[in-house]
Amino acid sequence: MTANPPFVRISGLSKVFDGNEAHDAIHVIDNVSLDIDAGEFIVFLGPSGCGKTTLMRVVGGLELATSGTVDLVGARVTGPDRHKGMVFQAYTSFPWLTVYQNILFGTKYRNDISTVEKAEIAHHYLELVGLSEYANFYVNRISGGMRQRVAIARTLAAGPDILLMDEPFGALDAQTREFLQVKLLEISRLEKKAVIFVTHDVEEAVFLADRIVMFSARPAKIVEILSIKDTISGQRSLETKETEEFFRLRNHVRNVMLSETNVMGLIGAPIGSGA
Amino acid sequence: MNFRGLFVYRGSSTASTEMLVGAGAFGVFFLAWYAIVAVGVVPERFLPYPDAVVKALWGMFANNNFIEDVGISVARVWGAFALSVIMAIPIGIWMGSYRIVGAAIEPVVDFIRYLPVPALIPLLIIWFGIGEASKIAVLWMGTFFQLVLLIADDSKRIPREYIEIGHTLGARPSQITRDIVFRSMLPNMVDNLRITLGWCWTWIIVAEIVASRSGIGHVIWSMRRFLKTPEIMAGILTVGVIGLATDQVIRLIARRMFRYL
Repeated sequence: MTANPPFVRISGLSKVFDGNEAHDAIHVIDNVSLDIDAGEFIVFLGPSGCGKTTLMRVVGGLELATSGTVDLVGARVTGPDRHKGMVFQAYTSFPWLTVYQNILFGTKYRNDISTVEKAEIAHHYLELVGLSEYANFYVNRISGGMRQRVAIARTLAAGPDILLMDEPFGALDAQTREFLQVKLLEISRLEKKAVIFVTHDVEEAVFLADRIVMFSARPAKIVEILSIKDTISGQRSLETKETEEFFRLRNHVRNVMLSETNVMGLIGAPIGSGA
Repeated sequence: MNFRGLFVYRGSSTASTEMLVGAGAFGVFFLAWYAIVAVGVVPERFLPYPDAVVKALWGMFANNNFIEDVGISVARVWGAFALSVIMAIPIGIWMGSYRIVGAAIEPVVDFIRYLPVPALIPLLIIWFGIGEASKIAVLWMGTFFQLVLLIADDSKRIPREYIEIGHTLGARPSQITRDIVFRSMLPNMVDNLRITLGWCWTWIIVAEIVASRSGIGHVIWSMRRFLKTPEIMAGILTVGVIGLATDQVIRLIARRMFRYL
């Protein structure tokens, strides 16, 4: 027995989607084990459709594992609750509520705090995501990037232990995406929350992650776990993307990913392989 | 006023311009009507002048206590409609929420939905008599089974992410239903209710023609016996005006309620 259980422990996790009349059973996750520390920013990177999103959803309690377990702060994950906050790629802020009301909605089902505290929390996150000026706007009057900030603020307002983000910037334009990446790093530094961030964008992964977990094509197996934090220390900014270390890490990750995609015979030789 | 936009493919215009167009169309309709009678294509006994219809309407209100029949029909429509709505909303959402409820109820509802309501009227009269209960039953049969499926479909169309957000914010299913599903489907629901209310007017006239001593349908039917075409058309006109007015009021309320759309 160790004294302290890891913050998140995924052990021996496999997932098979049952077949039916329409399709065969699909093996999506193959025996994945992983420990995540408190406050750690983890990126799940893998080819599209590899099962990384499903793995994250199992951590969030939105899918059941076929075998294996997930523990969060020593407690077995059996279903979704407010300790595991989700942010989706699709816009999920509610159109019938204003920006502020959406964020306040995040606190609605908490009974550990008073109404006054709920309002304080909502205002805090409203400010943190930089939307104070838009507090009374309905969310379909604001841009996609702002809607994702509302979604992040709402999730944080629920007071989760871990933030699970499923390609949250996938539908945004390049500039907004970079802006939100920087913003997200700032938020995670201030909030000191563990994050699992799913993406198939290599540059995004290297820029955001403390550690990148690289997955194979389906069924998802861990191919490599790469610590970015060890190489790029200190606070990151957009300039980080211009540094030598960043290029090196990005190329390495890209090559691993390319060879994983190659398993499916889709793409030619990896970059810099001389072929 | 923006007239040019009216003629652009998928163009847009202002509300006041469109209102003007709508009023103009009504004007053209009445003019054409007037012209057809004036030219003598149709004998006046079958198609009276528009003003004869208006005069007949005035006479019905002044001498025949028509307002009471209108009131009775409106009360029947709203009573039956309210009953349908109160039942269809919770049952429909319930059908959309749990497959066991949906799988059990959908085939039954689908079957009854295809039964022609007029064919059921004799049976409903045997069961409920010729009083108010049988009218309510006819309207209810004609609307509930359609409405409940529309509501169930609407509730199923909520994005899955909305439900999952509810779960991950710590909401119980009943709270997700109340705070997310219901709120999310509300604008669509109001549209469906508006359409269903229109059907009620079809069924109330049918029911009142078949078996009633009061109501607009009864008035229309008894005037037929004396070939009082203006009065018949006045009755029909009344239904149209009530329908149009109700629809506009509901639209106005909806626009206020759903400012975010």
